[in-house]
Amino acid sequence: MSSQYSAELCALLVEDNFGELFARIFSTLVRYDRLSLPRLKFYSHLSYPQLRHGIAAMIQQHLVYHYTSYDDGFTYYTPNLQAAYYLVRTGKILELIEDRLGKYAATVMSAILYLGHVQVGNLEDLPELQPAPTDIDGVEEEQETEGQTNGHNGQDIAHAARLHPTLKALAAHGYIIRVRESHFQSYADNVLDAERVIKARPDIKQLKGKKLDEAVIEATLTMLKERMDGDLTRGLVFNGVPRGVKRRPDARNGDDPTKKARSDYAAVDEEDEHDDEWSDDELDDEIPMESTLTVQVNYDKLDVALRNRRFLDLAERDSSSATIEVYDCLLRRIEYQTSKCRDGVEIPREGEEGEQYSAPIALSAVADDVDPNLDLAASIGPMDASQPGLRRGKRPLDDDDHMNGTTDHAAANTLASKGNRTYEVDQHLSLLAQPPHNLTSKRNIGGLPSWTIEFRHLARKLRHLELERMIEARYGDVALRLIRVLHAKGKLDEKRLQEISLLPFKDLRQVLANMQSGGFVDLQEVPRDAQRQPSRTIYLWFYDPDRVRSSMLEDTYKTMSRCLQRLRFERARLKEFLEKTERSDVKGNEERYLSEAELTLLEQWKAKEALLVGEISRLDEMVAVMRDY
Amino acid sequence: MASNSVPELASKIYDICVSNYPSDHLFYQQDLLGLGIVPKNEIPLLLQCTQSLVDQKLFRLLQGKNDRLAWKVISREDAEKLQNLSPDESLVYNVIHSTGRTGIWVRAIQNRTNLHKSILDRCLKSLEGKNYIKSVHNVKHSSRKTYMLAGLAPSEDITGGAWFTDGMLDENFINSVAGFIEYTVSRKSWYEMPSADGGPRSKRIKTADGTASARQEPGPKEYIPFPAGYQGYPSVEMITAAVNESGITPVRLGEESITQLLEMLCYDNKLVALNNGEIYRSVHNPEAIKQKTAKKPTTDDTDDRLVTNGMTEAPCGQCPVFKLCAPGGAVSPESCEYFDPWLEKALGF
Repeated sequence: MSSQYSAELCALLVEDNFGELFARIFSTLVRYDRLSLPRLKFYSHLSYPQLRHGIAAMIQQHLVYHYTSYDDGFTYYTPNLQAAYYLVRTGKILELIEDRLGKYAATVMSAILYLGHVQVGNLEDLPELQPAPTDIDGVEEEQETEGQTNGHNGQDIAHAARLHPTLKALAAHGYIIRVRESHFQSYADNVLDAERVIKARPDIKQLKGKKLDEAVIEATLTMLKERMDGDLTRGLVFNGVPRGVKRRPDARNGDDPTKKARSDYAAVDEEDEHDDEWSDDELDDEIPMESTLTVQVNYDKLDVALRNRRFLDLAERDSSSATIEVYDCLLRRIEYQTSKCRDGVEIPREGEEGEQYSAPIALSAVADDVDPNLDLAASIGPMDASQPGLRRGKRPLDDDDHMNGTTDHAAANTLASKGNRTYEVDQHLSLLAQPPHNLTSKRNIGGLPSWTIEFRHLARKLRHLELERMIEARYGDVALRLIRVLHAKGKLDEKRLQEISLLPFKDLRQVLANMQSGGFVDLQEVPRDAQRQPSRTIYLWFYDPDRVRSSMLEDTYKTMSRCLQRLRFERARLKEFLEKTERSDVKGNEERYLSEAELTLLEQWKAKEALLVGEISRLDEMVAVMRDY
Repeated sequence: MASNSVPELASKIYDICVSNYPSDHLFYQQDLLGLGIVPKNEIPLLLQCTQSLVDQKLFRLLQGKNDRLAWKVISREDAEKLQNLSPDESLVYNVIHSTGRTGIWVRAIQNRTNLHKSILDRCLKSLEGKNYIKSVHNVKHSSRKTYMLAGLAPSEDITGGAWFTDGMLDENFINSVAGFIEYTVSRKSWYEMPSADGGPRSKRIKTADGTASARQEPGPKEYIPFPAGYQGYPSVEMITAAVNESGITPVRLGEESITQLLEMLCYDNKLVALNNGEIYRSVHNPEAIKQKTAKKPTTDDTDDRLVTNGMTEAPCGQCPVFKLCAPGGAVSPESCEYFDPWLEKALGF
């Protein structure tokens, strides 16, 4: 991924987050790639002490890989562009964690992110993770939980008891992993290292030729897996659900909170349960995480979670909220069993990628996860439109069954209503399986109905959607139709294209020419004779999503760095004023020290900064779709 | 026997052929002998008869399968027409007739008849004057002059299908039919909630249905999707019938034309084809479509668009000199003239 603009962007991100020294070292490394310390000093014009400090800290942040060669004993440094890029995704990750596991978990996560990697023991000492009685989030939670009858008794629990369950929950979800030694070396170095070790093994030495190669490759992969594996989920996942996630409480307050409120709610519920229920479960839960364990953030897993969010967004566009809820439950289940977005390093070429199904989730498991008070029946129409009366008469009865079944736990009703419920969940999932998006797909595994997701198909869909948006914004809906036709039919000449798209020649040619100059479509010449006369040549239009994607990705990187550069420029424009607001006496007391005009200016600046940063994060979403999913 | 003279036998053959067979039946020698009119199946006699019929333009001589001779009947009115033509004209007429609904290019007539250009022109002119043939506009080769018999409707290859008027794509017509189809399909692909009459039931529906169904202040109609596997979505035949009944089209549209349009609507993401294009479902519900069409007069219909993404929002996404932009260059993020207006617009100051 080391293209001009991604390198520029990563250097900017490093500078924005860590300052000039880091940026200087980083951009030198990006430019020259692999350098030993003396060479690095030579190219970066920095002194040894500066470099040593910088590099040590950058290794801590995983911004630089280092590798000590066996041959000459030199240590070489390589930039880690991936880690540098992920700096931009921090906000999104924290938001996700907060949504899933609550505010405290997000605080823990941000501490880990801030430190790069950290020992559990050190986390215990961090002041920001000590929940003081006046802790802001503690107060908020108190207020939020007031409505609940069982109350919130977690406040007085010692902070260690709170940190460890949270860490365990993070680990169980796979959001954090153990740091291994090999994580500090670049992938290529790890591969070479493993190969060297394997080739030295006596049993491998006996092999020859093709067999040798195969054996080495295979053994290397296993060894790499072993060495890179930082999985912490072992023993923390039960029945496919990680520790820390509990089924929703059966008896929920009857009123219908809005969606936002509900998710806060769920998060708090989960928090609650950490505190209350750890003790009832197994003794295992009492054991805190080893304090010598070093953890870091697992970006691969977080990408999976973020990608699932995108799928949910896609579904949200034309499905009812009940369907979305059901889909959300399915996606959660799948997320727990998916460790990364795809197997290969690069996104495979269009049409060459095989389908990769998610782990199948049994229908009953999804049905169990769905909020029992959610009205599933009301958002799907009857099978037969001509007999609405029948359905209308029947449904309230059905629902009454549900109500009784779930609220009163009447033994007679539960069984029947559960079967009914499962059927309804299945109906919602079938609805999602329909074209155009095919968001789910059904499988029968051992006679049990299960649901999976076709990851590659959906990731591709997201990619295409992203490109189509660009095309629509730039060239209008006529262009969009043409692109879809070309994409579906392959290469077409103008006549055929017109027949399918039903567009007048004039518009057609204009739009195609515009798109060609923008690099979205291209023309292929097929001469009918050896002379290649234009009049005896067939011209075929085509659209190559791969090509467009990679050029779009570059443009996105470039746009992101332009936004960052503009932000810096805007900051420089207001430098003196901003320095004033940063002064220790002014900060926090803005109202006292700043004039009216200055306050508005500050407000405006904050809005501006938020807008630009927000824009960068929107662009990051595109990068994620085009590169990571 | 008295009736053995050639003209009489010929007229007998002709009468039987006309009355007993469809007009485009192909008669081989065997078929004509099988009629049992020619005594003793004398082939020379039969050939005399057919030759006389051909001379009277009552039969048309054709080459059937395996280079066998074959004949076709010409109706008496047409025969009269043909009898009045000069030999050249009749030659041209036959060539044009042979191409049927596809028509024939003038130069191809010339090649096939070997007539001189001036003679050919004269023949065509006189035939056109008699209203036997007509010139048609060819979509594929707009410069080629094409002729076909006056009584025939040009085939779709020539006209380009129902969507072309005089060789030009009729955009307005297409759009109006497309809009109609979308709305029609949409009405059948969403289940309209029976408007609730107060009480606890209606309340529950609203909370559960929430965001997805378009809800607006006047006429709070709720639409919910049908379950998967629902077979009540309209088929191509139903849509075609609906379009033809609606009276928005001056000509009757065939199923192929409608299918063509339906495919286009699929590419526009307005419809979704199910069961391999047998039945169609609409993406938006009727209310949303109505709103969209109502909004159309106002130029800015952002609702119609896909949700925007980071690139389309940022000024760089629309920047004409984006490729030239570099820090410190003539076009640079610092000197960019698009950022400020964008920031101002977004923040409102």
